[in-house]
Amino acid sequence: MPSVSPSPSWVDAVLEAGAVPASSVPDASLGRTDIEEFTGADAVEDRELQVHALAGAPALAPRAVGFLDGIELWRVEGYSGVTPIVRAHVAAAIRRRGPDRRLRTVAEAAEELAITRLDRLSKGVRRALEEHGVRVVEIPAEDAGQPARAIPAARVVVQKARAALERRVGERGLDALGPDEWLVVDGVISDSPALSAHPRTLGVVKSHGAQYFEGAELERALTLPADHRTGVFCPKSRGARREIHSWYLRLWPWEGNDLLYGLVRLEARAHPDTVALAPAVSAWLLRERAPLATPDRRWDRLLYAIHDVETYLRTRAPRDLVPPPSSTSRLPVSRIAS
Amino acid sequence: MIDRRDPPLQPIGRVVATEQKPATPHQFHFWTANETTIGIGAIVRVEAAGEAPGKGEGGRVVWGVVTDACAYSDLATPLHDVVGAEGDPARAAESPTARQEIRLWTAAVLRQRPEEPLQPVPLGGVHLATDADVAQALRMDAYLGGAEPRGIPVGLYTSGGLEAPVYLDADFLLGPEAAHLNISGVSGLATKTSAVEFLLGSIFEHFPRQKGRVAAVCFNVKGPDLCFLDQAGALEEEDRRRYDRLGVPATPFERVRYYAPFKSDGVNLNTLRTHAALVGAVEPLVWGLGEVLDYAEVLLNRDDIDAKADAFIDFLSDRVVDREFDDGFGGTHRVVTFADLERLFRAIFDGLELAGGTGRSDTWRTHHIATIRKVRNRLSNISTRAKGLVTDDGPSSDLPWGRFEDRTVYVVDVANVDPLGQDLVFARVVSKLREHLERRDLGVDAVVVFVDELNKYAPADGPETYVKKMLLDISERGRYLGLVLFGAEQFRSQVHRRVVGNAGTLVFGRMDSDELATPGYQVLSPATKIKLATLPIGELMVRHPHFTQPIFVRFPRPVVLRGRDGVERFPPATDLPFEDAVVRQLVKLDARVRPNPVKDLIADRREEDVRRALALTRQSRPQDAFAHFKRLLGGRVAAAPLPVRESVPPLNPISDEPY
Repeated sequence: MPSVSPSPSWVDAVLEAGAVPASSVPDASLGRTDIEEFTGADAVEDRELQVHALAGAPALAPRAVGFLDGIELWRVEGYSGVTPIVRAHVAAAIRRRGPDRRLRTVAEAAEELAITRLDRLSKGVRRALEEHGVRVVEIPAEDAGQPARAIPAARVVVQKARAALERRVGERGLDALGPDEWLVVDGVISDSPALSAHPRTLGVVKSHGAQYFEGAELERALTLPADHRTGVFCPKSRGARREIHSWYLRLWPWEGNDLLYGLVRLEARAHPDTVALAPAVSAWLLRERAPLATPDRRWDRLLYAIHDVETYLRTRAPRDLVPPPSSTSRLPVSRIAS
Repeated sequence: MIDRRDPPLQPIGRVVATEQKPATPHQFHFWTANETTIGIGAIVRVEAAGEAPGKGEGGRVVWGVVTDACAYSDLATPLHDVVGAEGDPARAAESPTARQEIRLWTAAVLRQRPEEPLQPVPLGGVHLATDADVAQALRMDAYLGGAEPRGIPVGLYTSGGLEAPVYLDADFLLGPEAAHLNISGVSGLATKTSAVEFLLGSIFEHFPRQKGRVAAVCFNVKGPDLCFLDQAGALEEEDRRRYDRLGVPATPFERVRYYAPFKSDGVNLNTLRTHAALVGAVEPLVWGLGEVLDYAEVLLNRDDIDAKADAFIDFLSDRVVDREFDDGFGGTHRVVTFADLERLFRAIFDGLELAGGTGRSDTWRTHHIATIRKVRNRLSNISTRAKGLVTDDGPSSDLPWGRFEDRTVYVVDVANVDPLGQDLVFARVVSKLREHLERRDLGVDAVVVFVDELNKYAPADGPETYVKKMLLDISERGRYLGLVLFGAEQFRSQVHRRVVGNAGTLVFGRMDSDELATPGYQVLSPATKIKLATLPIGELMVRHPHFTQPIFVRFPRPVVLRGRDGVERFPPATDLPFEDAVVRQLVKLDARVRPNPVKDLIADRREEDVRRALALTRQSRPQDAFAHFKRLLGGRVAAAPLPVRESVPPLNPISDEPY
């Protein structure tokens, strides 16, 4: 298991070198979001997207399942001039559920990052940063000059780092996966060749920024009744993403809430077997509704086991990066100190 | 005795502290795996991760005992479980993932090292206690080591597969630092008598020789409970192993002396230990007027006896008994026995009746005739109600005052005696013990007096009886004398607070829930109370001055024959006819005695003459018992003079002083 130092000395070093301390804690991670654009999809199971009831469908019951999730925590530790120096912690883990229904960690990785733009830092600060050996990831030069753009750029860097780490952990996890074990990934799997090609890997996507349908098909997808799924479709390929099979599944009735309430999109390898397995996998996911992942606000779409992985990673993250339950004071630090 | 193996390095839990549940110098919380062997009462050791293994952070090591526990999951609200199971409890167990849950334990600090400065418990690893840890945690190291160890094994602490002997400090159990033991629990399940039997065996084995000689006096007040202490009972291998672990021999008491009064016939013993194989070891307990008058307060502090009656009894004791006395009506008396006293009373009443025509007929020596009649009734009442214990006429037979033997149990069986007689026996025996211990001439240096049914003898409320005053006196002063009270009762809350308050060692067996709800148990956690209410047979909770928290221990089943088993194995003999009973008494004194000559001898004699001759023979213990008996029976058997009596110091009155 990786060890993470609770108070990295590189932060102290850059502050001593002249960086102005800061304590800006951004919003918590939003998870691995899907792209937010219309891409379209090819029909696979039905000629036109259809709704399929799951009542009576036998549920898949894997002997063991690994659940993969990751977290990202970051904060602005200081400024050199107007260039932010961000400290980030990314971590990912697979927790395996065996016949005893309990989750145990089988793979885990964490990384500490400094995110800034080196050529914008004062010499002393830069030297301090470089001497301490922390991995530095630079934001694009065009974003570094404007703090309003630099912070979102840092966020993107952190998200990419987390996605990469999750991918690495997931791909390593595939090697250890037993012959009848599944790996459930929080989010898309189409960005990994290994994950997207594996016959027993399933991506569970909670965010629905990407639109694959229009008109009546979109309405069918987003007004899906509880305990129903759509037919399997193939999202149109985007960038480096691999071909994948996907379908929507409604875990909880949305009526009385919003259209996306209880709606997840599942991803599995692009293979005819996936179509055949879709009812059983969907019925399995319906069983995963219990126990509820409360008190997480996303509990209607968040599997408890994924929630558990996230809880596990948060308990092991550096304490100073985990935002307290109630927001901290934003009073000027210098005034408080005086 | 203490296994000093290195402590296991693998922790079984970890101390956690939050703002709501902080670690303090007296309490801490820790979690364990869901599947753990520890439970309420387990002793644990806390060490923060330090540089030197086993040394703890800054050398600080904390021992604690688990007093409470809770478990919870990450379920936000019970309603969410209902939602997850769609309202079907059967489906709740089918959820594919088990929720995260915690076993969170609360422990009370037993000891910290170093003890100063006293600090909050460090947030370290929690280990199961070893033998050495138990000794440290309970501060037993202070009295188990050194040149003169004084530990008395009380039982085995068991938890998590570990087993460690727990010792009491002899100085705090038998004095002089503290003394007395009180044991409470429901009848039949708390095994109070068994616990005391085991502890007496442990005391006899481990009481330091250099501290002197020790004996025990046990009052058998119900059934055959204590009638077979010298007989071996069935013992399982596990019990033998526990005896071995505690260093107590798994053998019955080697030296037990039984005392029981006669039945009303004056020749058959009033005890359940009358089987032919055992009755020989039972000595009669018979008292005369002298023994009774000394403790008349026992008889007279009940009901309507007043100061006038008290004064008349004092008059009898000081001016009449055992001296030539002129009754004022022309008669001279020497009152030694109840029969003599009755003759005096008759002379007084007759004299007053005859004097009726010439002057005042209602007063004799300033005492009103009603008072005289009342005292006469009370005294004749005891000789009637406790006939067999109190003899109207003849010598007494008593415990071996001044000749008590080391490591010997003296059982006084008064189970079948009238309650008034029980009070008298109890009062007199304990008073005599106190007298002799004060004079240091009892034969032993310390005596454990085991009294069951303290609810009856020392109730928290009710009249101030002589027995209660005496129990208070033992409780408060006994430790200086070596007179140690082992008391047992069902309801500790209903025993006089100074009797239980002065007990240095408190033992609890299975307790009644209502009793546990009384204020005396407020210091116990709810979990400890639940454990006490469900305690299995053979397990006890012990409080001792060295232990800062109550400790649960197991003790082995007593090696002696249990009362009801003893009655089955040695069924009590039916009462013998008068002649046969006399023969048996004589055979006991002299095995050469043949039945027929005895029966021929007593065939035409009055029973009271035979009883008196038998008592005198028993008292003098001649070589040829039959010849001696025959000689005594041949002529008129004179009443034996009373021995010179020591005055009994008055007891302190019961006050409301807090203990």
